[in-house]
Amino acid sequence: MPSAPARLGGTATSVSVMPPTVAASGLRFAYGDIVALSGLDLEIPSGLIGLVGANGAGKTTLLKLLLGILSPAAGKVEVLGRPMPERTLEVRSRVGYMPEGPCLPPDQTASDFLIYAAELGGLPLRAARQRASDVLTIVGLHEERFRPLGGFSTGMQQRAKLAQAIVHDPELVLLDEPTAGLDPEGREEMLDLITRLDDFGINAVVSSHVLPDIERTCTWVVMLDGGKVLRSGPLTDLSTTESVHLEVLDDRDRVAAALEASGAVVTPDGNGLLVTLADGDPSGLVRDVLADTGVGIRRMGPRRITLEDVYLAGGGGQGGEDA
Amino acid sequence: MPEGVVYDLGYRPHEGERLGRAGAVRALYRDGVRRVLGMRRRARRKVLPAVLIGIAVLPALFFVALDVFLADFGDLPPFFDHPGYFDWMGNFILIFCALAAGELLIPDRQYGTIAVYASRPLRAADYVGGRAAAMVAVVFGFVWLPHLVLLVGRAWTSSEGFGAYLGGNLDVLWQTAVATLVYLAAYSAPAFAAAVYSSRQSLAIFLYLVAFYAVFATAHAVVAAGYRIVGIVSLPDHAGSVKDWIMGSDTQEWLAEAAGITPALSLLIIAAITGASAWLVMRRYRSEL
Repeated sequence: MPSAPARLGGTATSVSVMPPTVAASGLRFAYGDIVALSGLDLEIPSGLIGLVGANGAGKTTLLKLLLGILSPAAGKVEVLGRPMPERTLEVRSRVGYMPEGPCLPPDQTASDFLIYAAELGGLPLRAARQRASDVLTIVGLHEERFRPLGGFSTGMQQRAKLAQAIVHDPELVLLDEPTAGLDPEGREEMLDLITRLDDFGINAVVSSHVLPDIERTCTWVVMLDGGKVLRSGPLTDLSTTESVHLEVLDDRDRVAAALEASGAVVTPDGNGLLVTLADGDPSGLVRDVLADTGVGIRRMGPRRITLEDVYLAGGGGQGGEDA
Repeated sequence: MPEGVVYDLGYRPHEGERLGRAGAVRALYRDGVRRVLGMRRRARRKVLPAVLIGIAVLPALFFVALDVFLADFGDLPPFFDHPGYFDWMGNFILIFCALAAGELLIPDRQYGTIAVYASRPLRAADYVGGRAAAMVAVVFGFVWLPHLVLLVGRAWTSSEGFGAYLGGNLDVLWQTAVATLVYLAAYSAPAFAAAVYSSRQSLAIFLYLVAFYAVFATAHAVVAAGYRIVGIVSLPDHAGSVKDWIMGSDTQEWLAEAAGITPALSLLIIAAITGASAWLVMRRYRSEL
């Protein structure tokens, strides 16, 4: 397990030209004897950022530190360039939070609660009314705005939770398991909304167990494990590889032997073969071998590494209670 | 035929002023007042506050009417005066405080709304302050409004004339206002502390009222058995004693007085209970906001 964040490739610098939305160094926090974050070093750029990790990895603790609910035992953390917890109130004016658990009063209408949430964020009443109406339209709840929140379906409640997180027009929004409990249709709607946050100029940190959701929405991913940063970098660096995945129609062994004879490393991968060349892209070699052997193919393409692959390879995935 | 056009305004960022902490506290206060009175809630949420306010105010109107019809029979008994009205209202003030404290604090924790406050520019003291201000406003109105009705009603029906009666009884305004604050502190602060440590509204109200009346009844029984010092634990008696002190009245012998406690000391005891309750409430929220 690395003790410092491992940057993923050269493109990280090009993404990080903007000042970081979150910067932490030597961040430590413990609940009594249980260490939740242990000397965490981290820089999160602007954009849509995924925060992944098993239960107990420290995701929720990190979000609470970013909101100033908890104070670090050691180390420093800055949110939007402001040190925490010294400038908590200033940061909270510019940050939204969508908690994992319920947060909606069932006896209030969506409109009333959104206006209230905007006023709590510091907006004057008139602006709060306007923003509440706009945001309810954006999340697709405008028709339901005069219904009590207690009568909303799970999907509608999740959208209302997202609405309250952005109603005061924050610069950064922290989303804790935004797709939890949603059916496939609701999940798609939520992921679409999260993707649109970037168009609105709102940075987001999306904490999730569901790695495909992070792959679908985020441009940068931070992996936590055991209170430390396992990896932090652009998602493109994770998914790009110079290996080629090949599925042949017949005589797989003959193709594998020919590739190995040409210097490639070939490993079985499900129904296909994974071809890697020590000094670069093996695509040309594969094409030539296929032409020489005359073997037909069903599919061929660069091997895509999922977050799950990286996470499991990095030693993550051990269970425990969420810190 | 004109055709309708739908404009997609898209996302419009807020570019105006931000009120920060002060705006958040004001929102908490306004929401608190609405919540206790059931405003912008379903009709059934309005019933109980409306009934209690009715119980508080209607007798004042009734007493004014009695004044008109019984004026020929001489002076009315003290029951119909302002100090007596506080005694008569005591139980309703207690119930109203328990209901209001539960409504102000428990749903926020019960439904997880505390997480929303934790992401807004406010501290624990701001949250408690906003809610406490709502409590003060609503309970003060509930307790003081009947006295205002009684005073204005009597002035209106007075043979001396409206202005002359009001001018001669102006002291009643500040005396009832200060006495109201004393009852508010004595009954609201412990109700706040009870509400903070419970996650179910009905249970919190029930336990608070049971504990309050149990202490009150036990104190009266023990004092009756000769142990007069035990009168110190009866909070309503402290409030009543201070009220009589403020208003220069003597509606009954309060247990606090029987225990040898002066009204000034009773006031200090109420202040200490308020302070202890505030500390308990802040202790609870400091870790959450």
